[in-house]
Amino acid sequence: MKALIINYGVGNLFSIYSGLRRIGFDVSISNEPKEGFDLIVLPGVGSFSAVASYLSKYYNQLNEFRKNGIAFLGVCLGMQVMFEYGTEGGPSRGLGWIKGKVDKIHVDVKLPHIGWDKLYLVKEGCELTEGLNNDYVYYVHSYIAYPGEDVTYMKSKYGIEYPALICKDNLIGTQFHPEKSGDVGKRFLENLARWLRR
Amino acid sequence: MTTKRIIACLDVKDGRVVKGVNFLNLKDKGDPVELASRYEEEGADEIVFLDISATIEGRKTLLEAVKNTASVLSIPLTVGGGIRTLDDVSRLLANGADKVSINTAAVENKQLISIASREFGAQAIVVAIDAKRINDKWIVFTKSGTYNTGLDAVKWASEVERLGAGEILLTSIDRDGTRDGYDYELTKKVVDVVKIPVIASGGAGKMEHFYQVFSYSNADAALAAGIFHDGVIRIRELKKYLLQRGIEVRL
Repeated sequence: MKALIINYGVGNLFSIYSGLRRIGFDVSISNEPKEGFDLIVLPGVGSFSAVASYLSKYYNQLNEFRKNGIAFLGVCLGMQVMFEYGTEGGPSRGLGWIKGKVDKIHVDVKLPHIGWDKLYLVKEGCELTEGLNNDYVYYVHSYIAYPGEDVTYMKSKYGIEYPALICKDNLIGTQFHPEKSGDVGKRFLENLARWLRR
Repeated sequence: MTTKRIIACLDVKDGRVVKGVNFLNLKDKGDPVELASRYEEEGADEIVFLDISATIEGRKTLLEAVKNTASVLSIPLTVGGGIRTLDDVSRLLANGADKVSINTAAVENKQLISIASREFGAQAIVVAIDAKRINDKWIVFTKSGTYNTGLDAVKWASEVERLGAGEILLTSIDRDGTRDGYDYELTKKVVDVVKIPVIASGGAGKMEHFYQVFSYSNADAALAAGIFHDGVIRIRELKKYLLQRGIEVRL
């Protein structure tokens, strides 16, 4: 199975690259979207405005892939840019594939939120959640998604509850970093590989 | 609420893990890739590499070790030591570090913190503060604990937060390697003035020390090196101990 990680030009792509390879993906990294992959990965590095503006250059192509049923995995910020709108680095438009916005965690907690928190299943029907309920995953973020539609299957809590795992058709998003979440992260990536093979 | 993190630290010199007392008398403790994977298996929440190589050759070896370790590790990896420029940060992140820890260069060139934070995000920028108690104050030392900056460690912590650090790695030079316990007063003072996570470091010798630094000082994470390398404390046992005493950790 072939995965393509989109390189926006900042940060560590090596962890997600290694994480997917360990599960058995044939992984490539590219500055732009390309044909011929089963999975396109939007990694969790950079800031909303910068990444959204980077991806807007390839919007038509990405959208075409999405409509043709190619699966997308968005990790952390990569998930966030699938929403309509974000405030990090100044208000900006995302890909708009999922209704809702991305904004700072507006409660009195330490930010960035760095560390391990539990996943809670809040909605049945997405096989990517299998075997993850009540397990710890790793988070590094200050912003969360406020979805405007019913796409949240798992949540975590840090001051407030927020979406941890979202599924919508062929779009998968995680606020946590599966590639840094030890065995639980591996389990999620295995679920993802199984789901893609169907 | 987020669990308290246990972090295993590897001091790396010329590609090997070493450990000393009060930053001196280094002894060989093994291969970084092997030790890092062992700690992940034992339940460590994060791994920190601190490069204490003095030479350019040694630093190249580190980059190799970072890459090799990151390719087997599935928990976060922070790398520090000798980071001077934005290029250094970029190179480490490209080779698999999730965060970088900046110490001496942060004091000498504050801009580096803010620029790196803007470029790579606050979450990738840890500022390391090595502090030593002098009379009633804690003073920041740089250059591996040899240079007195005259800066007040608690004030400096506030300032690095303002400059854009995402986390503080706070080491007590007085306690480092002594196994007499963390500097709880220092840790508490810093935790109380900043709103970013604080990692306590220096002095862990017994499980009780971890309990104290979490319960009394309210640190977000506790780091140790020697006691893990020598097998004095096993991370899984430590986490069970903490959980029994009401400290939430990932098991």
